[in-house]
Amino acid sequence: MRCALCSHEFNEDSAKRSCSACFKIGKCEMIKCPKCGYEIPPEPEWIKKVKRLFHRGRRDGDL
Amino acid sequence: MSRKRMTTKEEPLTKKKVFLVGSPNVGKSAIFNALTGSYVTVSNYPGTTVDIAYGKMRIGRHHKIDLVDTPGMYSLRPITAEEEVGRKLIFKENPDCILHIVDAKNLERMLPLTFQLIETGLPIILVLNLYDELRARGMQLDIAHLEHDIGIPVVETVATRGIGIDNLSSRIVEVIEDRYRFSPMKVEYSEEIKEKIQSIAKHLKNDYAISKETIASLIIQNDKTIIDMVKAEGSLKKIETLCSNLDFNHMADLISQQRREASQSIMAERSAGDDNRTRGGWKDKLSALMVHHIWGVPILGLVLWFGLYKFVGEFGAGTLVDFIETNIFEAIINPKVDLIFHKIFGENLFFGLFAGEYGIFTLGIRYAIAIIFPIVATFFIAFSIIEDTGYLPRLAMLLDRAFKKIGLSGRAVIPLTLGFGCDTMATIVTRTLESTRERVIATFLLSLAIPCSAQLGVLLGLMAGNPKMLFIWALTVSGVFMLAGFLCKHLIKGEDSGFFMELPPLRLPSFMNVFTKTYTRMIWYFKEVIPIFIVASIVIWLGKLTGIFDFLVNVISYPVQWAGMPKAASPAFLYGFFRRDFGVAGLFDLAKQGVLSGNGLLIAAVVLTLFVPCVAQFAVTWKERGKAMAIGMAVFIFPFAFCVGFLLNVLLNALGVSL
Repeated sequence: MRCALCSHEFNEDSAKRSCSACFKIGKCEMIKCPKCGYEIPPEPEWIKKVKRLFHRGRRDGDL
Repeated sequence: MSRKRMTTKEEPLTKKKVFLVGSPNVGKSAIFNALTGSYVTVSNYPGTTVDIAYGKMRIGRHHKIDLVDTPGMYSLRPITAEEEVGRKLIFKENPDCILHIVDAKNLERMLPLTFQLIETGLPIILVLNLYDELRARGMQLDIAHLEHDIGIPVVETVATRGIGIDNLSSRIVEVIEDRYRFSPMKVEYSEEIKEKIQSIAKHLKNDYAISKETIASLIIQNDKTIIDMVKAEGSLKKIETLCSNLDFNHMADLISQQRREASQSIMAERSAGDDNRTRGGWKDKLSALMVHHIWGVPILGLVLWFGLYKFVGEFGAGTLVDFIETNIFEAIINPKVDLIFHKIFGENLFFGLFAGEYGIFTLGIRYAIAIIFPIVATFFIAFSIIEDTGYLPRLAMLLDRAFKKIGLSGRAVIPLTLGFGCDTMATIVTRTLESTRERVIATFLLSLAIPCSAQLGVLLGLMAGNPKMLFIWALTVSGVFMLAGFLCKHLIKGEDSGFFMELPPLRLPSFMNVFTKTYTRMIWYFKEVIPIFIVASIVIWLGKLTGIFDFLVNVISYPVQWAGMPKAASPAFLYGFFRRDFGVAGLFDLAKQGVLSGNGLLIAAVVLTLFVPCVAQFAVTWKERGKAMAIGMAVFIFPFAFCVGFLLNVLLNALGVSL
């Protein structure tokens, strides 16, 4: 993934680590950039399925 | 006769270390993911908050490789903490191979780092990622001759589509098995530089993971970390003598220039095609205007005017709220709710819990759906469009100059921008700022003068029909913001921090991206807001029953009236203690009823914007900055907000302004 604010590239595992100190851990459903903390809404599963249906899905590593 | 079974002896697994190095935005993570699959762990580099990703890959039966994704870097002379950590990793860990990942279409700009890595003496593979984008521009690179010129393996990849990854894996094996015949190109420096590097390298006694020439070249560029490292040797005095009359800046400029020239000469030979289609195109020109310290300001004004004021303020908070409140809640839901609960409870006090003036459905749910929902939806749509275009980092660069005046750097745009979404989360994000001083200043400004999304949207809606009111509100709040920041800068000791940010390319927003981000943010927001609004309704109902609510409203009515607002506005400020969006929704109701208008409305908007942080933000400030600071901020902000309201009222009356 690429952060929309600081352009840092990261994978979702490192994003989950940066949530460990937050009181909302696991509940806000956002992906947090580990570098700047910017919150990025993840793509919901149903949208991914619709995209796959129309062959417009994107691979990992691409925002 | 017995037959002897032939067995082959298994070769032992080799364990090797491979580092990924490169600047941000080149697809390093994509390469890392493609090579490692899901075997990834992330941890902080010791003593820092910089994350390093570690992965494992297995190539064939014999090679187990530990892969390390280093933080983005532009040079082996670090500017940021991330670059410092990246360099430390390379210098200390002695990797068996370095993959230098570059953006193929910007190779000329990135080759200087390749040369620096080659000079370390470590085995390097140059990975030209995003190769499809280079071809899309009509350009081409002569890979075979490039490899011959630079003398290291060169591999082209499109990591997001898995192209070139198998080839890259083969080249990695070739290098770690010592089968590749390196003949790395060395930059031909001028005699002045060569002589200095050689004379210093001669006096370095210790063995280092990297070449002594690299250490020497960093010393003549006055790299403090390297000089400290060499201090331990005991040969520093001799080296200091050699550097005594050296102009370090001149040396650094000369070395950079000569690396760039080497890069240009290679590219002149080995690249083909016309990049003028995109270089200097309208996107580059617009990007330059956006960050310009003069032209960037009207561009920001246009974004705020159309994006926030017109779309969120007029359409969202005006048209949509009117429609939902009038045609759905007032016409259908509220009367039905009153009827149903009247049938169930009669005039019983529980009627007031669900219906009536402060009921769960008639107040809490109505606030959440009729007022907050359309405003937050339009706000998130506007924000997602702005975000998807790549404007936000440009905004950070534009505001960097202004932020320096209040003791912050452009990096503070990150938590302050997040504050327009939710101040509570933004307060947590202040920990990404480099110094304690910046964190304290940013936390204070978030508590004081940054309205959260729903609050901002409702305020815009309140003032949408009156641009003069909106202008005075914006001027007052931004004035308080800058003044408070300026005073903090001079009262809180510390040094200013630098700021460095990569700008992603500008692009047109994609409908799917905007829809996805808006949808997810809305789900998140309502999962949080609706339960809280219901609880707030219950708390108010209990407060009304016990008389505490009326008592507190009476207490707060004194500063409210002193500041020039009608007494009827007092409940909104009481709501604001719990949730700012609940507070402004209360103001919205009063404005619709005609109770609050004109100067009183403006003052209420200003005071509620500058009001104490909500309970959640207060709790997070306590956790992040400590009890004393959290309480101190709240105790200061409460009377300060009303004082600003009072002074504004006096000024408006003195100038004869009537809105």
